[in-house]
Amino acid sequence: MKSVVIAGYARSPFAFAHKGELTKVRPDDLLARVIAALVERTGLNPKDVEDVVVGCSFPEGEQGLNVARTVSFLAKLPLTAAATTVNRYCGSSMQAIHQAAGAIQMGAGEVFVCGGVESMTRVPIMGFNPMPNPALKDAYPEAYCSMGVTAENVARKYGIARADQEALAVTSHAKAAEAQSTGRLSDEIVGIQTPAGLVERDGCIRPGTTVEGLSGLKPAFTADGSVTAGTSSPLTDGASAVLVTTEEYARANGLPILAKIRSIAVAGCEPELMGLGPVPATRKALARAGLSINDIDLIEINEAFSSQAIACMRDLDIDPATINLDGGALALGHPLGATGARITGKAAALLKREGKQFALATQCIGGGQGIATILEAV
Amino acid sequence: MKIERAAVIGAGVMGAGIAAHFANAGIPVVLLDIPAKEGDRSAIAKGAVAKMLKTDPAPFMHPRNAKLITTGNLEDDLNLLADVDWIVEAIIENPAIKADLYRRIDPVRKEGSVVSSNTSTIPLGVLTEGQSDRFKQDFLITHFFNPPRYMRLLEIVGGPQTRADALAAIADVGDRRLGKGVVHCKDTPGFIANRIGVLWIQAAVNAAIDLGLTVEEADAVGGRPMGIPKTGIFGLMDLVGLDLMPHIAKSMLATLPANDAYRGVMREHAVITRMIAEGYTGRKGKGGFYRINKAGGGKVKESVNLRTGDYAPSEKARLESVSSAGRDLRKLCEHPDKGGQFARRVLAQTLAYAASLVPEIADSIVAVDEGMRLGYAWKQGPFELIDRLGTGWFAELCKAEGIPVPALVETAAGRPFYRVEGGKLQHLTTAGVYDTVVRPDGVLLLADVKRAAGKPVWKNASASLWDIGDGVLCFEFTSKMNALDGDIMAAYGKAMKLIGDGKSGAWKALVIHNESDNFSVGANLGLALFALNIGLWPQIEEMVEAGQRTYRALRYAPFPVVAAPSGMALGGGCEILLHSDHVQAHAETYVGLVEVGVGLIPAWGGCTEMLARHAKNPKAPRGPMPPVAKAFEIISTATVAKSAAEAKELLYFRATDGITMNRDRLLADAKAKALQLAETYTPPEKDSFVLPGPTARAALELAVEGFALQGKVTTHDKVVCAALAEILSGGPDADASKPLGEDELLELERKAFMDLVRTNGTIDRVEHMLTTGKPLRN
Repeated sequence: MKSVVIAGYARSPFAFAHKGELTKVRPDDLLARVIAALVERTGLNPKDVEDVVVGCSFPEGEQGLNVARTVSFLAKLPLTAAATTVNRYCGSSMQAIHQAAGAIQMGAGEVFVCGGVESMTRVPIMGFNPMPNPALKDAYPEAYCSMGVTAENVARKYGIARADQEALAVTSHAKAAEAQSTGRLSDEIVGIQTPAGLVERDGCIRPGTTVEGLSGLKPAFTADGSVTAGTSSPLTDGASAVLVTTEEYARANGLPILAKIRSIAVAGCEPELMGLGPVPATRKALARAGLSINDIDLIEINEAFSSQAIACMRDLDIDPATINLDGGALALGHPLGATGARITGKAAALLKREGKQFALATQCIGGGQGIATILEAV
Repeated sequence: MKIERAAVIGAGVMGAGIAAHFANAGIPVVLLDIPAKEGDRSAIAKGAVAKMLKTDPAPFMHPRNAKLITTGNLEDDLNLLADVDWIVEAIIENPAIKADLYRRIDPVRKEGSVVSSNTSTIPLGVLTEGQSDRFKQDFLITHFFNPPRYMRLLEIVGGPQTRADALAAIADVGDRRLGKGVVHCKDTPGFIANRIGVLWIQAAVNAAIDLGLTVEEADAVGGRPMGIPKTGIFGLMDLVGLDLMPHIAKSMLATLPANDAYRGVMREHAVITRMIAEGYTGRKGKGGFYRINKAGGGKVKESVNLRTGDYAPSEKARLESVSSAGRDLRKLCEHPDKGGQFARRVLAQTLAYAASLVPEIADSIVAVDEGMRLGYAWKQGPFELIDRLGTGWFAELCKAEGIPVPALVETAAGRPFYRVEGGKLQHLTTAGVYDTVVRPDGVLLLADVKRAAGKPVWKNASASLWDIGDGVLCFEFTSKMNALDGDIMAAYGKAMKLIGDGKSGAWKALVIHNESDNFSVGANLGLALFALNIGLWPQIEEMVEAGQRTYRALRYAPFPVVAAPSGMALGGGCEILLHSDHVQAHAETYVGLVEVGVGLIPAWGGCTEMLARHAKNPKAPRGPMPPVAKAFEIISTATVAKSAAEAKELLYFRATDGITMNRDRLLADAKAKALQLAETYTPPEKDSFVLPGPTARAALELAVEGFALQGKVTTHDKVVCAALAEILSGGPDADASKPLGEDELLELERKAFMDLVRTNGTIDRVEHMLTTGKPLRN
């Protein structure tokens, strides 16, 4: 096995869809700016890029037409670098990293720019033309179970009280706010020029979020439910990118190695309980790495919803102190296609910053899947 | 001179509302107020605009109009006044502060610009005292009513030095662009409407207290019989604010002539003084004469006892005088009960006062009547009301009530104030002779047409056809509430026959218009329910089919059809607009397909036409779903556009449809458009539809199921939504590879309608609507 490493991570600020500071920015422009900055910051020779792999959940409209290729042009990467767009919904840009790692293991290239993008303002969730299969909908309606309802299902199945969900959201906002105010997020963020000026800070974090404040919100998805807007990740605009290469290439070219990819996995699960996807995916990845959850020093678990994150932590026996050190998606936001590269890049960067050995990045995926990546310090 | 840019100084409720209305008219406007003490120095004007975007009823006809307002403050931004043509001052009613402001803006404003004050109490002579000659020539009073978007009256007062062209230009903009009924007044306290209105309110309060009427009883007498809006007198005071009344009284007393009748009528009532002191100042306060008591989680409408000042649950008025008189005003006044006594006393005082003020406040009775109709929303002005009583009878009433008979009533000597001579409306002048009422250029009123013609070209029980000249036929609904029924469909058929090919006969175009408050609120539900209850299914289906046939026939007729709505156009009333070649809408038109409220779907081609329009919308994303989803969203939520501008956005109106700001100009604009279209008219081509079929139904169902889980969709909503989804998706056999014709969609509409009318949920909704006037959420 080759040693495949993450040798750079950058992202745009994340901002509320429809009302945030990035609503006027095209998603292809957004990711192109992030990739250009990643190349510049790492000192990568762009001529060496084999492929640009971009994750996107609803790859249509301004993020359609093989957006990876458009972004490559916009980022002024050499024409020799190929480009492909990947869709595994919320797992899309982690999948992009997995594809690059797989290709490298196959000897099908050495340097991959992997990214993800979603403008949930400019391309609506479900896309412009949602056209479900009517026969499948009738025979197996779970296939089209809405995300909010899956969060309620998980909360009910695991008996996760509303107060517990809110406690996680409060913690997530507190950690993110602290990271933001102490400048710990600045390194990863690439400023984005908008018609209203330069945006350099995340827009979704609400410092001072309290349990009392959240407890006043109405259930968002079912009238008698426990999941609210405060315990769901917000609709978000954002883009992220990581550089995936071999340890050998990185060393030879002086690239900043953050971590190496120890193992990867994907797994399917019940679509109506899609939030549990990280459980089987993580178990597979741990087994492939020959590790147990106790070996993992820090974890980036995507907080699509409080309820599903808590359920996964329970099933995987995760120590809450190890998760999302700088806040999770409840606070930072969840631009679907961009989240995977953010949490994988973030986990790699944290390993280095915290001086730890193993990290896990994992997330749930609509339709009933999970995806996981285990990283190791180099 | 042209008015292309305006400014308003003072961002209070009136000033901001006037600025919003300039924006509604498409006129860019600067809004200034004093600088804020801390933070953004223009925060007051900015805050006013932000607040208006959340106000209901909305001051803006469309939220985007807010962008036409440039905000600023009076210290840093006076330069913004340099290129405006008209500056409206709407600051505090204090002559010294106003004078100081005028001196500051005078050097900044451009040559020939007009300055007007929105004062309601200060005479023009006082306002211009000590100002430059240039200022005096450019100055007038423009008195808007609150809220400026909705109240139609604009009182204009010029001074002795005011330039005639400035007065004319402002009157013209007020009329055509702002859509106001412009009434020229003399420079007297309270001008026309408030002068009479303030006395009327005081007289009514006095009489209610003296005669022992409850507020409900007083408002019932004032309502339908007298033609006062249903808020009534006490409801109106709640709306205006009880605390304002003493201020208005004080300022009136300070400026009115020594012998003015108001001085004798004005009285302070302890019960009202106490209400104000305790914060019961009306709707803006804790409540007023009426309040909603929410104690104990309930919602109980209560009213104040005018003797004790205590609240008790509101009780419907039961007065023999009101129920026996109906609309007969004289019968009401002759009734011996306290309602009759109240009517007699209030009418005698108010109408005699109004009659005594001509020519003091205006040259003619026409201006006074217009002022009260448009400024206080009376159905009829004071002189029209006197005519209903008879001038001779009214003179006797005055004597009986101990009020001097006004000179003008003596002049009338038993003759009416208005008469029709040679088909023309005439009014009595102060000289005792009749003059013809002259409408401004570009104003065509159906009422005048009807008066002149005497009888329609053709009519049946629910519609009339009128000749409005130049070969244009006007279709008027005459059914109760303008509800649509079989007779209306038959009348359309008759109109089509009369017009024929639009070339060889007397007629070449059709305008659909009426002068009721509402264009039409849809099909006659009472008839429909009757048919439902006895299961006349074939007849119901025939009614649906006849509507479809008629609307399609109008659409493809060889002559142009122009609809000219104002007020509400709902359900079937909206569908006729959708089938017209052109809609010339009054800006205050409220349009929507609201059938789901009674458990139905639009089946006179409404679904089909909304699909066609949204499919052609160049601004929508491409693909087969967006038109389906948009039409579904609008129809399934019974979305009603709250202005003609909003109707354009929802595509109830096309981008090419016209908007007329002044209702009085609507028919003339529609007629002109019809004649223009007739010159080269060819009927439209039939639409064809690319629809996704069952996949779209599945997508819409998923959305509805989501809303159902959130508790936003009821059991029967789901049934109605499923029927709607079936139509809009193109039906079970539709496929994007196989375009559908209109006829197939109309058949889907009919089928869905017939399925729904057989459900108990729909029958319950129809019944509930008919008995309560409100939709049932079953």
